[in-house]
Amino acid sequence: MITLKNLSHDFVIGKKGRQTIIPVLRDISLTVEKGEIVTIVGRSGSGKSTLLNLVSGFIHPKEGEIWISEEKVSELNEARFADFRINHLGFIFQSFQLIPSMTAFQNVELPLILKGINEKIRKSQTEAMLQKVGLLDYQDHYPGELSGGQQQRVSIARALIVNPPIILADEPTGSLDSETEKELLQFIQELNRDLGITFLIITHDDKVAEIGNRKIELKDGRIVEGVLT
Amino acid sequence: MKLKDQFRFVRQNMKKNRTRVFMTILATAMGCAFLIVLASVGFGLQKSVVKEITERRVITQIDVHGKETKEQGVYRALNDKDVHLFETIDDVKAVTRRKMLQQEGTFSIGNYQEGAPTFVANFPAEIKAGFELSKGRFPKEKNEVAVGYNFLMNLADKDAGDDRYDEKGQVKAEYLYKDELLGKEINLTVHQFKDGKQIEKTIPLKVVGISKKPTKEWAQDSSVFISDQMLTDIEAFTGTPKGYMLDVNMNKVPEDIELNKNAYDDVKVYAKNMESVQSISERLKEEKYATYSVVNELKEVNMVFMIAKAGLIFIGTIAILIASIGIYNTMTMAVTERAPDIGIMKAIGASPNTIKRIFLLESSYIGLIGAFIGTVVSYGISYAVNFAIPLIIKQAFGQETDLNLVFSDIPLVLPIICVLICYGVTIISGLRPAQRATKVDVLKAMRREV
Repeated sequence: MITLKNLSHDFVIGKKGRQTIIPVLRDISLTVEKGEIVTIVGRSGSGKSTLLNLVSGFIHPKEGEIWISEEKVSELNEARFADFRINHLGFIFQSFQLIPSMTAFQNVELPLILKGINEKIRKSQTEAMLQKVGLLDYQDHYPGELSGGQQQRVSIARALIVNPPIILADEPTGSLDSETEKELLQFIQELNRDLGITFLIITHDDKVAEIGNRKIELKDGRIVEGVLT
Repeated sequence: MKLKDQFRFVRQNMKKNRTRVFMTILATAMGCAFLIVLASVGFGLQKSVVKEITERRVITQIDVHGKETKEQGVYRALNDKDVHLFETIDDVKAVTRRKMLQQEGTFSIGNYQEGAPTFVANFPAEIKAGFELSKGRFPKEKNEVAVGYNFLMNLADKDAGDDRYDEKGQVKAEYLYKDELLGKEINLTVHQFKDGKQIEKTIPLKVVGISKKPTKEWAQDSSVFISDQMLTDIEAFTGTPKGYMLDVNMNKVPEDIELNKNAYDDVKVYAKNMESVQSISERLKEEKYATYSVVNELKEVNMVFMIAKAGLIFIGTIAILIASIGIYNTMTMAVTERAPDIGIMKAIGASPNTIKRIFLLESSYIGLIGAFIGTVVSYGISYAVNFAIPLIIKQAFGQETDLNLVFSDIPLVLPIICVLICYGVTIISGLRPAQRATKVDVLKAMRREV
C-alpha cells in the first residue's frame, strides 16, 4: 500500500554562502501493507515527522521513491498530488488543523466540496459522518466552542469523509487527555478492523505505538527497529 | 470544486472583513462611475450633434454640386447627361434637378406681393424623392404653378410700410393675404435692362398646388415651381439664359451663365436607404463629382467623437486603475490573513488551481459589484446632470439651452465597456495575490508561521 525505497532527505539551513546541510532521513526503505497499522516512533529530531510529510507530499524527497497505492507519488507535481491526496489520503493532525471560521459541519464537509460532490449528497454524508463520531449535535459549533477531544473527532470525521484507504496521523493524541486518548485509539482500531483502513501513525507515545501491528523506530534518520507488536 | 461552492466560499470570506471589502467596492464603484459619467459627456454631445445634423438634412440625400473638369479643381455644372448617369447607379431612388430663375420673381395677387425663389422642377423625380402636396395637384399646363407651404407667410400688402415685420422678422398677420390661394391667378413679374432702361413683363399664372408643410419645425418653403415652357417664355423676354437679369451697364451675359445655360442649379441624388448612401457617394466620387451628404458629415463627426470618447474612457480607466490598487491591497491582506486556512485546504487536497480560482473570483466579485454600483450611480448622475446643467446655465448666463441638447448620455455599450475594463483590471490586480496564495507552504501555514 505504501512503499518507500531508499528514501533520503535533508534540510538546508543558513543564508546563501553559509549554508549547512542537515541530513534528516537516510536510505529509508519501508513497506506498509494494506490494512496495517504502522506506528513510527523516535525521539525528537529523529526524522519521523519529515517522513510523514514526505509521504503526505507536503515536501519532496531529495532521493528515493515513494509509492502509494501503486502510484509513484514522489514524481507527482503539486496539482496532481493534491488530486491524489483528496482521493487516497486522510489526515489527522496533533493540533487538529480545523478552519476556525467554519463550523464542525463545514469543516467535515470541506473535502467533499473540494471533490465537487453535490450539495444534497454532501449534507447526508457529512451528517452521517458526524453521527459516526458522535458530534451530530455539535455540527453548528465552531472549533473554538469544542473541547480538544471533540475537535480531534471533527478532524477524524473530515479525514474519513472521502473514504480514504490510508490515514496518516501525526501525533494524534498529542493534545488530548488520557481518557480521550483511550477513546481515540479505540476508534482508530475500530476503523482499521471494520473498514480496513491503513494507518501510518507518528508518535512518541508508547500507548499509541502499542496499537500498531508494527512499530518502527527511527534514530538519526535511519530505521533502527521494526517490531511486530 | 463547483463554481457555486466557490461563490459560497468567496461570500463567506468577504463577510469576514466587511468594512475593508466595502471600502474597496466603494473605490471601484467611484472609479466606474467616474469613467461612465466622463465618457457619457462624449456620448451625449455626439448624440446632440448627430441629431442636429440629421434633423437639418434628409439622411438619404446626396447633394451633387458639379463635375471636375480635366483641369483639376475646376468644376462644371450638371446637365441631363449627368442626371441620366446618376439614375443608372444602383440603389438610387430618385434624382431631383432644378433650374432656378436667375432673378427674384415678384409674385402678386391684388394688392399683395412677394419675391420668391422660382424653380423649374422635374415633378416625377420630386415625387419619387418624397415631395408631396398638402393641397391641389401638380402643374400640368404651361401657366400652372405650385407654391411652397410658407409662400403665404410672405405674401403681404405692398402698401405696408417698414413696420410690416414683427420682432421675429415675420410679416404681421394684419398685412398678410388671407384668402384661399389655390385656384387663384397670381402674376409673376420679371425684369430686364434693355438699352439702360428697366423693362418688365407680367405673366399671369394659376396656383394649382401647395406643397406639404416642411417636417422640420424651423424650415420654410416659399418657393414657386413654374413649368419648363414658362421658363422658355421668360428667357425669350429677358434674352438671357434662365431669365438672368443684366446690370444697367451690362450688354452681355457673363460667360459662365452662358456656358451653363442648359445646366441644372440644384441636383440631389436620393438613395434607397441610409446604408447605400456611402456606396453611391463613393461611386460619384470615382466619377469626379463633388458631393455632400449627411452620412459623410456624420462619418467625420463620429470619427472626431470616437477619438474624444476613447480619450475620455482612457482617462476614466485611470480612476479604475487607482481603484485596482485597493483591490490588490485587499486581496494581498486576505491572502496573508487566510494563509493558515489555505494551508489546511491544501493539506486536505485543494489544488493550487482551486485556491487561485477562489481568490480570482473574490477580486472579480469585488470588481463586478463595484462596476454594478458605479453603473447605477452614473445613471443617476447622468440624469441629474441633464436636469441641472440647463438650469445652471440659465441661472448663470441667463440663456435658455436648446431642448435637444443632451449633456450626458449612457448607451448600453458604455456600462458594458466599463464592466469589461473593470473586470480585466480586477483580474490583473487579483492575479498576483492569487498566485501568492497558491504558493503558501502547507507546513508553515499549519504551524501558523505565515
